[in-house]
Amino acid sequence: MKKILAILLAGMMTATALAGCGDGQSSNEPSNNETNGSGAGLAELDADGFVDAAELGDEQDASIKVWAPDAAVSITQKMCDAFAEHYADKNISISVVAQGENDAATQAQSDVDAAADVFGFASDQLDNLINSGVISECAYAENVIAMNTEESVKAGTVDGKLYYYPETTNGYFLVYDKSVVSDEQAQKFEDVLAACKAADKRFIMDAGNGYYSCIFTFTGGVTIDGYADEEQTVQNFVDYDEDTAVATLQAFAQLIKDYKGTFTSLSVDKIASGFADGSCGAGIDGVWDIESDSAKLGDNFGAAKLPTINVNGEDKAMISMYGYKALGVKSTTKYPLTSAALALYLTGESCQRQRAEEIQWGPTNTTVSEEDVVKNSAALTASVDQSKNSVAQVHITSTFWDPMANLGNQIINDDWDPTNTDKTKDLLTATVNNIKDE
Amino acid sequence: MTFVEYKQLNPFQRFAYNFSKTVKSAPKAIANFFKAIGMAIVKFFVGIGKGFKNYGVTFVKGDWATKLSYIIFGVGDLSKGKYYKGILYFLTEVLYILFMMFFGWTYISKFTTLGTVKSHVEYVGRAPKTVLGDNSMLILLYSVLTIVITFIVLAIYISNIKDAYRHQQMKNEGKKPSTLKEDVKDFLDGKYHITLLSFPTLMIGIFNILPLIFMILIAFTTYDKINMPPANLFTWCGFKNFGSVLDVFGGSLKATTFVELTKWTLIWAVFATFTNYILGMIVALMINKKGIKFKSLWRTLFVLAIAVPQFVSLLVMNQILQTDGALNILLGYFMGGNPQIQFLNSTPLIARTTVIIINCWVGIPYTILSMSGILMNIPEDLYESARIDGAGPMRTFASITLPYMLFVTTPQLITQFVGNINNFNVIYLLTNGGPTTEKFYQAGYTDILVTWLFKLTMSSQDYNLAAAIGILVFIVCATLSLIVYNNSKSMKDEEAFS
Amino acid sequence: MIKSYKLRRLLANGFIYLLLAVLGIIWISPFVYLVLHSFRAEGVTTVAYLIPREWTIQNYIDLFTGGGGTAQLNFPRWFMNTFVVAIFSCIISTISVLMVSYAFSRLRFKARKKLMNVGMILGMFPGFMTMIAIYYLLKAMGLTQTLLALVICYSCGAGLGFQISKGFFDTVPRALDEAATIDGATRNQIFWRIILPMSKPIVVYTILTAFIGPWTDFILAKIIMLDSRDNYTVAIGLQLMTDHQYKNTYYKQFLAGSVVVAVPISILFLILQRYYVEGVTGGAVKG
Repeated sequence: MKKILAILLAGMMTATALAGCGDGQSSNEPSNNETNGSGAGLAELDADGFVDAAELGDEQDASIKVWAPDAAVSITQKMCDAFAEHYADKNISISVVAQGENDAATQAQSDVDAAADVFGFASDQLDNLINSGVISECAYAENVIAMNTEESVKAGTVDGKLYYYPETTNGYFLVYDKSVVSDEQAQKFEDVLAACKAADKRFIMDAGNGYYSCIFTFTGGVTIDGYADEEQTVQNFVDYDEDTAVATLQAFAQLIKDYKGTFTSLSVDKIASGFADGSCGAGIDGVWDIESDSAKLGDNFGAAKLPTINVNGEDKAMISMYGYKALGVKSTTKYPLTSAALALYLTGESCQRQRAEEIQWGPTNTTVSEEDVVKNSAALTASVDQSKNSVAQVHITSTFWDPMANLGNQIINDDWDPTNTDKTKDLLTATVNNIKDE
Repeated sequence: MTFVEYKQLNPFQRFAYNFSKTVKSAPKAIANFFKAIGMAIVKFFVGIGKGFKNYGVTFVKGDWATKLSYIIFGVGDLSKGKYYKGILYFLTEVLYILFMMFFGWTYISKFTTLGTVKSHVEYVGRAPKTVLGDNSMLILLYSVLTIVITFIVLAIYISNIKDAYRHQQMKNEGKKPSTLKEDVKDFLDGKYHITLLSFPTLMIGIFNILPLIFMILIAFTTYDKINMPPANLFTWCGFKNFGSVLDVFGGSLKATTFVELTKWTLIWAVFATFTNYILGMIVALMINKKGIKFKSLWRTLFVLAIAVPQFVSLLVMNQILQTDGALNILLGYFMGGNPQIQFLNSTPLIARTTVIIINCWVGIPYTILSMSGILMNIPEDLYESARIDGAGPMRTFASITLPYMLFVTTPQLITQFVGNINNFNVIYLLTNGGPTTEKFYQAGYTDILVTWLFKLTMSSQDYNLAAAIGILVFIVCATLSLIVYNNSKSMKDEEAFS
Repeated sequence: MIKSYKLRRLLANGFIYLLLAVLGIIWISPFVYLVLHSFRAEGVTTVAYLIPREWTIQNYIDLFTGGGGTAQLNFPRWFMNTFVVAIFSCIISTISVLMVSYAFSRLRFKARKKLMNVGMILGMFPGFMTMIAIYYLLKAMGLTQTLLALVICYSCGAGLGFQISKGFFDTVPRALDEAATIDGATRNQIFWRIILPMSKPIVVYTILTAFIGPWTDFILAKIIMLDSRDNYTVAIGLQLMTDHQYKNTYYKQFLAGSVVVAVPISILFLILQRYYVEGVTGGAVKG
């Protein structure tokens, strides 16, 4: 029985193999575009950020599932209730389900039927969502473009089409204990390290992780910009000046060597612990840890965009990788109009303000970014500022992370010689080549 | 050679005997293995030929009912008074036709292309909505299901014809067909194995074999992160994926990674298996030594490592081994200073040694549990005679315990070896493959093939590549264990031991 | 001569005690560390010292009441889910394993050896890719995101783990069967009335291994449950709590949860240890 099957299948396989390997009917385009939607264009919003009820079409009794990360479930549920109440005659019911943003794409494409109609995800998964066709184009593109920062919109645009509704900035910056590092000192990497050393405390950065160690190359101008090929396997590097890049790497390596014992490469969760037991003076930590970091330090908690580093006499701003958290609307949702209106509302001005106030999510909304809620919060200001000195965390090949992590591991190694220009150059070239390979 | 004869050799002779036996039998075993596969294929085709012949002959010799059974299942049985079986046959046919009409055909008809209808976007007001086209993955999966079901029905069809003819012959000889009651009795006695095995086989068929065939087929498709259902289609691509993994001389990153990881996987499996086996046995002997008290206390200490879920204990281990983890702190107490040893993330050698040692921590308790009993089962008179000869504990171990254990537990060793090749938890939870390197594609220095496979599936979505690697790993494991099992002593002497 | 022999033995035993004590400490210390830190009040994730400075049972209270920022977790429910799944899958698994191994050990039929070989190698396929297939097969049956699906997954392949118990059955003397057959017993009666009552160790062994499975699997269960947190098992839940995006929030509750899972299983294991050893011994000799 099984043998018959196996042999038949083997035969079939050989036949297809001989017939040649066409690329198949698959293509990158998830859709054959007809028109750009009938009612597209800028939609009228009322003061609270709701669209006109007519935009919801004839969708009645919609039941919608929303994915939000654990920390945002209750606030999102509140906002959704407000949404349902606003369109009371539509009889909308919305349930918010906890689902981490990091694996939202994986979960959604495992079974698109079971996925949420409106889902929160981290911007680096956008390509997956588009390739598998799980996410639909943003129906209120012009509204989103008008309301949000250029960087956040650009990160969600692929082939000229905007896909997501940006929700908040999602990246890392400098956090410090004000009793160790003054706000003044936090401007320069050299001063930060010196202050930590003077207080006999650690500076913590996860330098063996490509997500953070890319600072070393990005700051020197070796940055990335999307893919170089259709298969999305080759990373496209921006043209860079090799001498500057190498000098920057050397400057980092020199500082790390000079401050051996102070500069510690540990996972970021150790920063909050370090603040708690007083072993850590400063570190590079992400928005997701702000609550626990600030809770441990209280008034002494400081945050700023990443400091500058002195390369051959010039203070260069550190460039980081910065992503966004955004909402996507499921392409196969039963209620596309209601879902789109909900996504727009949840990422609109008032909701972004509410989140900034209640759960410290840095806004992408241009108006909210200028408001007191951001200005009065060191962490939010740092988050918004850093997002401007950054490379967007989108369109990154899976081959990017390991070579980048390796570069970080190499230059923090005790045996690494920061003065050896040739070796540094080799490392940089090897890293770039290996990322490009395949 | 029996065990008693074997026992009369001295240790060197024994080693020589074992070694030469293994080496001598290895080529023969491998040859036999492939010969057996070849024979099976030949037998299979001969069988098919015979089947077709019988098929024709039966039709010619059959009466009207038997002839009708060729089109309508169960007629033969019904006409000879075997009602329940006839109805079951007939129902099978009806159900199969319904299944094909409403489910099977939709998928199997697209099996050769894996779908051609692309999904497209329609606009509802301003909002885009995707209307899904064909889903290549579901087409593949449900086609496999349909094929499997078709073969089962085919088997039932043939048995229906045979049954019809048998009953026809029985009628000619004036015999009556067996009653339901007699059949039930037969299924509880003579055919009891069918009763016992059918339910587990059904479950295994649906949830193990069917997915397995699906996975094997995936290796021949373009299913990766670009060609991803539900919106995009994938299709057949022959042996391309195997080509990119096995392209060793082309020096591609994937091929290099495959070779390097295979080497490390084998090294890992050998070390992990033998350290556990030998060290575990020594600890078990110490615990079970006469005169040692609190046996159950000692055993309990080790058994805890089995009882606590592995992902918990390994995550804790991971924390303990960090640069500022408990082990470094402890080393700091004893040796002074702040050692900050990177156990998991510095050089490949340190990380690899660490995982092997931690694997001992995980595995030795299992060895202790499974060996204690066998150790106590070693015939007392063997030790008695050794004692009379004045042998010390070391000699007793080397000349009695170890050979006896090896003799008895060879199959277990092989199971463990294969288990270690597929030992996902220890590597994944402890190092997640690290230390990282730019020299491998999606893998680190401690990644073994299965963890690489997992990363390929989960993080870079190279489903087709992962499937191809899965098949290669499987071929190695399966060949190895089939050869060893079928040549092992306990398998050959299955009847003799008890 | 005798005296020196005694002395030697004393020394040897002393050495063995010392070695066992050291090894015992090594083996037990991760759990001690786990238990100690589950009562830790200060710190966020790990801390750079061995003994906690402040003690609390708050982590356990949070875990069971959803306090302390763990409102999105439902540990008591997960625990019950796992328990229910473990009970049912353990019943089905045990029955299938015993049926298969008895058939292979005691009955002689045509395809026996071939089936045994197939059964043995089927378990060697790395299973990650098959999970997608299993998911969609379950979906076709409308079972995804349910506990029943987990029960099916954990017990469906159980029949493949027949080696150990087949080995055990092989050690039961065949003369018993023959005597019973002469007395007119069918194979069915022999299985239930003669072999099973004699096989308590292997039954307990099978039950124990099948029962523990659901408490430890964190990959397949995650794929089947997706976002349905109410139907999570403890393994997925604990895995979720250590995910890096939640680590700073849930780490100490994770430690407490691990202890809560580990303690009952350990107790069960310790009580049934004797049978486990007897079962695995009988099985391994022939396995």
